[in-house]
Amino acid sequence: MDALLHFLPQVWFVILGLFLFLYVMLDGFDLGVGILSLTSSDEERRSLLMTSLGNVWDANETWLVVMGGALFGAFPLAYGTILNALYIPIFMMIFGLIFRAVAFEFREHSNRKLFWNFAFGAGSFLAALGQGFALGSVIEGIAVDEAGHFIGSTWDWLDWRSLLVALTLIQGYVLIGSTYLILKTEGELQKTHFRTARLAAITTLIGAILITIATPVFYETARTRLFTPPLFYIFAAIPLLGLLLVWLLLRSLNREEERTPFIWTILIFLLTFIGLGLIVFPYIIPTQITIYQAAAAPSALVFMIIFVGFLIPIMLFYNIYQYVVFRGKVVGSAYGD
Amino acid sequence: MVEILSNTVALSRMQFALTAIFHMLWPVLTTGMAIYLVIVEGMWLRTRNPDYYHHARFWSKLYILNFGIGVASGLPMEFQFGTNWAPFSEAVGDFFGSILGFEGAMAFMLEAGFLGIMLFGWGRVHPVIHYLATIMVAFGANLSTFWILVANSWLQSPAGGEMVDGKFVVSDYFQAILNPFMVKSVAHMFLATLETSLFVIGGISAWYILNQRHQAFFARSLKIVLAAAIAVAPLQIYVGHLSAEQVYHYQPTKLAAMEAQWETSPAGQPADWSLLAWPDESGAKNRWELTIPNALGYILEFKPTLSEPVLGLKEWKPGDRPRMVGLIYYSFRIMSGIGFFLAGLMLWSGLQWRLGKLSPEKIAQQKWLLRGWVFAAPLGYIAVEAGWIVRCVGRQPWTLYGQIRTADAASPLPAMNVLTSLTAFAVIYSILFVSTLYFGSRIIRKGPNLELPVPELDNQPAIDTTPAKFIPDQRPVEAQSVAE
Repeated sequence: MDALLHFLPQVWFVILGLFLFLYVMLDGFDLGVGILSLTSSDEERRSLLMTSLGNVWDANETWLVVMGGALFGAFPLAYGTILNALYIPIFMMIFGLIFRAVAFEFREHSNRKLFWNFAFGAGSFLAALGQGFALGSVIEGIAVDEAGHFIGSTWDWLDWRSLLVALTLIQGYVLIGSTYLILKTEGELQKTHFRTARLAAITTLIGAILITIATPVFYETARTRLFTPPLFYIFAAIPLLGLLLVWLLLRSLNREEERTPFIWTILIFLLTFIGLGLIVFPYIIPTQITIYQAAAAPSALVFMIIFVGFLIPIMLFYNIYQYVVFRGKVVGSAYGD
Repeated sequence: MVEILSNTVALSRMQFALTAIFHMLWPVLTTGMAIYLVIVEGMWLRTRNPDYYHHARFWSKLYILNFGIGVASGLPMEFQFGTNWAPFSEAVGDFFGSILGFEGAMAFMLEAGFLGIMLFGWGRVHPVIHYLATIMVAFGANLSTFWILVANSWLQSPAGGEMVDGKFVVSDYFQAILNPFMVKSVAHMFLATLETSLFVIGGISAWYILNQRHQAFFARSLKIVLAAAIAVAPLQIYVGHLSAEQVYHYQPTKLAAMEAQWETSPAGQPADWSLLAWPDESGAKNRWELTIPNALGYILEFKPTLSEPVLGLKEWKPGDRPRMVGLIYYSFRIMSGIGFFLAGLMLWSGLQWRLGKLSPEKIAQQKWLLRGWVFAAPLGYIAVEAGWIVRCVGRQPWTLYGQIRTADAASPLPAMNVLTSLTAFAVIYSILFVSTLYFGSRIIRKGPNLELPVPELDNQPAIDTTPAKFIPDQRPVEAQSVAE
């Protein structure tokens, strides 16, 4: 029974991690393309950019809904406390996502496309910014009482470290968005995004280095964890591996390869994600509430695994199928008639 | 008024109500319309009549518009439980949170995952695969209704466990899913989305016929809608009655508010039913009312006398009664009134159909009938909203009926934060609402594109074996030899 009490929250921690990673990767390139659209010079380009997402954006965004629901069900305490504490960044994200989503629909039918183009780009930026602040302040830690309830103040989430995380996340999204567009476009448009990808790779790298340095310097708890073997070796290996991947990415960009930049970027995201997971685990509100304290009753976790667990491969299957159906370069308007 | 602006609980309630009322407008249409799209695409595959194909393409334009806005406006619904109702989320997360998780993972993901293929996959996948995608979208949408209604019904009639130290501990998940309200509530909402969509499609079709555009084409959709609505409209009245009956048994405070009953009507006696009234909460009475003698027994139990007492609001302390009795009372009457109106319209349309007056040649002469259909187009929405007001305002002062009070369910937040987000929602959702009407009416005014090429079906050979028409080479003789 004791083993079960440990095992079930861990399983759900991994499942949540998977959902969150899928969301960050998939909606990451979505949001990145949105942010990039702000720099597009003409209507035709913006139209191609939006078309490249037309058939996938809402399935991508759904991972956020799935992740939210799973967090609510599996770790109700963490769900309530984190969302309560991050009221402003969460609504920033929600309003950003609303603008972005409606821009897709309304732009299609509107004569004044400029307004909706702006709503699309600005919404993507706002959503990414909100997510970045949320991520930054969760890593930093949320003020809670012994029962795990939020006791901090409204603006706790805003400081230079969470701003650094937010800006880096935005750069990361621009990077994955650029490499996605390299995959989906041709000609001038593709050339532009080789450039934006290079730029974003460098700015993301700078942000990541700053965060890697800032984390052990400013968070004592993280420091003690990071510098104790055997975890120390893993934490030392991750930045090195990261540098290798960034080098591979930049090399593939210089060679103007089409597919590999996207793959290297995904691996960089994955590596960062594993690193974050290792820093956070076993906490769900670092370093206050562990997954075991925040978990729902074991019966609830089992109940959810029965219903959701077996669905995960099926969900992955039809999401991949959708990408297979729409593989290849974007041409013209996805909406057709 | 100023008091409300500094009251976090009231503001959070207003925000939830506002977002829910607006959000509902979009999925109500897409959920029912998805079934309609399955029907027309199926008829196209069966009959190979291109009209059905063009119906599928035309209506899916309205579908995607509403779906996109539905997704956008629905996001805050899930997150508000955490941001504004954290104590509630913590107390009921084990069950309520799991169910929302299922909705996302099973239902919404299914709908979103196949939507791309349904909308943009016409030329890319085999028609049968496409049809499968359409079915999955419809199945996912209706599965969403199922899980959301499971969650909400459980709030209305919590089952499967008990409150222990402020947390709802579930002992039997299946009993919680199959809570007393579940089956009838799911059925009522399923029919509501279907009925709303049918009347929207029917109303738009009638508008085209009245305006003498594509009359034969839209007579077809009107007939499909009519065939379904003739069954759905009366059935909804029956299921609605069953829903009211479960309120009578499980939520006496809500029933008392729905009927603006202040005094108890004892069992074994006939009771009057109030048709119209002016409820006065501070005086705990109706200032005036118009009643039908002895009707309450017939309405609740189909017999003149009550077998159980109908409790009046005065049986509870003022703090345990639902507020806004007038709102609940009139919302209920608006909902039921619309239900009967739509059923009446079906009766009339059905008669005309029997008399052969709805044939494509004659249908345009039925001006008043068509106007009735156009008038009916928005009524489903109003009925759905009114019904949810009865359901959720009538549940007050409880969030989890009889267990968790709304006042204890809210997050302690600075009122200013909630006021800001509430204002932002009010502005944004109003823009979304007006824009949907504007762009929706644009799609409608533009009309269907009947020129759209119909995808090849497999009864045609993969390689065209019909002899090609001979086109003589008209280039100069020199050019012809170069080409070879």
